[in-house]
Amino acid sequence: MREVIATVLENARIAEETYSLTFACGEEIPVRAGQFCMVGVRGFPLRRPIAICKAEGERVTVCYRLKGAGTRTLAENCKIGETLSVLLPLGNGFTLQESEKKIAVVGGGAGVFPLVAAIREYAAEKQIFAYMGFKNRASVCMQYEMQRGEEFVLCTDDGSLGFRGTAVQAFMESVERVRPDAVLACGPTPMLRALKSATAGKPFPVYVSLEERMGCGIGACLVCACEKSDGSRARVCKDGPVFKLNEVIL
Amino acid sequence: MADLRVNLCGVTLKNPVIPASGTFGFGREYHEIYDISILGAVATKGLTLRPRAGNPTPRIAERRGVILNAVGLQNPGVEHFIAHDLAWLKEKTKVIANVAGETLAEYGEICARLNGLVDFLELNISCPNVKCGGMAFGVKPGSIEEVTAVAKKNCPQTPLIVKLSPNVESIAESARAAERGGADAISLVNTFTGLAIDIERRRPVLANNTGGVSGAGIKPIAVRMVYEAARAVKIPVVGMGGITCAEDAVEFLMAGATAVQVGTENFTDTRACPRIIEGLNTWCDAHSVEALSSLTGTLKLN
Repeated sequence: MREVIATVLENARIAEETYSLTFACGEEIPVRAGQFCMVGVRGFPLRRPIAICKAEGERVTVCYRLKGAGTRTLAENCKIGETLSVLLPLGNGFTLQESEKKIAVVGGGAGVFPLVAAIREYAAEKQIFAYMGFKNRASVCMQYEMQRGEEFVLCTDDGSLGFRGTAVQAFMESVERVRPDAVLACGPTPMLRALKSATAGKPFPVYVSLEERMGCGIGACLVCACEKSDGSRARVCKDGPVFKLNEVIL
Repeated sequence: MADLRVNLCGVTLKNPVIPASGTFGFGREYHEIYDISILGAVATKGLTLRPRAGNPTPRIAERRGVILNAVGLQNPGVEHFIAHDLAWLKEKTKVIANVAGETLAEYGEICARLNGLVDFLELNISCPNVKCGGMAFGVKPGSIEEVTAVAKKNCPQTPLIVKLSPNVESIAESARAAERGGADAISLVNTFTGLAIDIERRRPVLANNTGGVSGAGIKPIAVRMVYEAARAVKIPVVGMGGITCAEDAVEFLMAGATAVQVGTENFTDTRACPRIIEGLNTWCDAHSVEALSSLTGTLKLN
C-alpha cells in the first residue's frame, strides 16, 4: 500500500455516466484483481474508493460511474497531465485455488469493473464464463475485455442489448451446464442478495467484492464495516473487499 | 530548525501534532505509509471495557468542506488493545488512550485498567453517536464534573485529558467543570451533531440518522471555542476541529492550545500529520519563532 501523486493519462467517457481514468503512478504497482484505490478529488474531504480495472507497470486504469458531486468533479475537472493523489493497492483482492479451474464471473452495474481485472488476470489459466449486467444499451462498456473467456453473456435490464434480465438470472440459466468450481461476483446489494439465495446449497464457493462508503480506506477508521455471519465485523477496505458470500450478511 | 517540543501535563511531546481519536486506529495502518514515531503522540480509537460492534452502515457522509460520521465506538475492547497494540504503539510515540463508558462505573473501571500503562487518558464524554453514555455525560457541567472526578480517582498515575463536546450552551462552563472535576487537561472540539439528507430517498444518508460533523468547515467555530475554553481554565488545552495545514494549527496554538489533534484531514491526505509537522517548522523559521510553545495563547483581541 502506498500513496502516489499520479499523472492523468486519460479520463474519457466510455458509456452513459461512465468514465475510464488511466493514470501513471511513477513506479510499478503490483495489483491483484479485486483490489482498489482511493482517489483524491480536489475540494472534497473524502477520497473516492474505485476498483482497479487494469494495472500494467506504472499505468493503472479505473472506471467509475457518476454518482454524485465527487465523481462529477472527477469527470469534469480531471484533465490529461493533471496530478491526482492516489492510495493503492488496497484490499485483499480475489484469491482462487489452483483446483478452481472453471470460474463464473457475475457482475452488475459498476460491479463489472473489478471483474474485468479478474478476467484479465485469470483468462490465460482458467476457463472464464462471464455474465455481465448493465442497465441498458447506452451503459454497456468494455465488452472487448469481457470476451476473453470461454463464454460471455451480456445482459441488459431492459433487453435493449443481449440477454434481457440481470446477470444473476443469466448465470442461473447456465449454471447446470457450466458447473463452475467458483464464482466471482460484484454488484449492487440487491443483486448480491439475489445471487446469495440463488446459489444457496450449491457446491461451489461464491466470492463477492463488496462496496461501502469509506473513510480512510486503509483499515484504521472502521467506517466501512460489514457484518459477518459469525457476528463479527470486518473492514471492507482492509479485510475485504472480497469475502465469501455465505460469510457476510448483506 | 525551530524547537517544536511542547510540554503537556509534564510530559514532553516532540511536537504538538497528534492524530485524533477514531481517524487513526492504533496507528498500524498509517505506519505502512509513514513512520508514525515522528508524531507528538497518537490518540487511539475510542476504547470501551468490552468490544463494541458499532452502528449499522452507512457510517459516513460528506458535505461541502465537512464529513459526518456515526461509527458508534466500534472497537475491540480495552483488553485486546492492551494485549495486541499498546506495547507496539508505546515503542513508537506517546500514547493517548481514548476511553468511553456507558455508566460512571465503567468510566472508572476502564481508567483504572489503563492507569500507569499509557502516557495519557482522554475521556470521551462527547461521542454523539452512541445511545447511552458518551455524550450523555458531556453536555451538562454537573455530569462533566462528576464523570471527570470518577475517572481521575481511578487514574492517579496518568494525566487525564477530558474531551469536550461542542454541543453545549457554554464551552467555558464545560471547561471549568472538567477542571473542577480534576482534569489535567481538556481537548476540544469533538464533532458537532449534524444531519445529511439524501433528497432522492428523503432519508438521512447515515444509518444512524445523525452523525458528528468534522473537517475544514468547522474550524472557525472550533478555534473560537478553544479560545473561550482556554481563557476559562488554568489546565492545558488540546485544540482540534478542521485542521488541514500548519497554519491552521498555528491558529489553534494562538487561541490557547498547547497541542493539536488532526482528524478528518488524515482521510483527505494520508500524510497530513507529517506535512503539518514540517509546515510548523517552516512557519516558525519564516517568522523567527525559536520555540513553537511560545505561540500558545498569544492571541490579542482587537
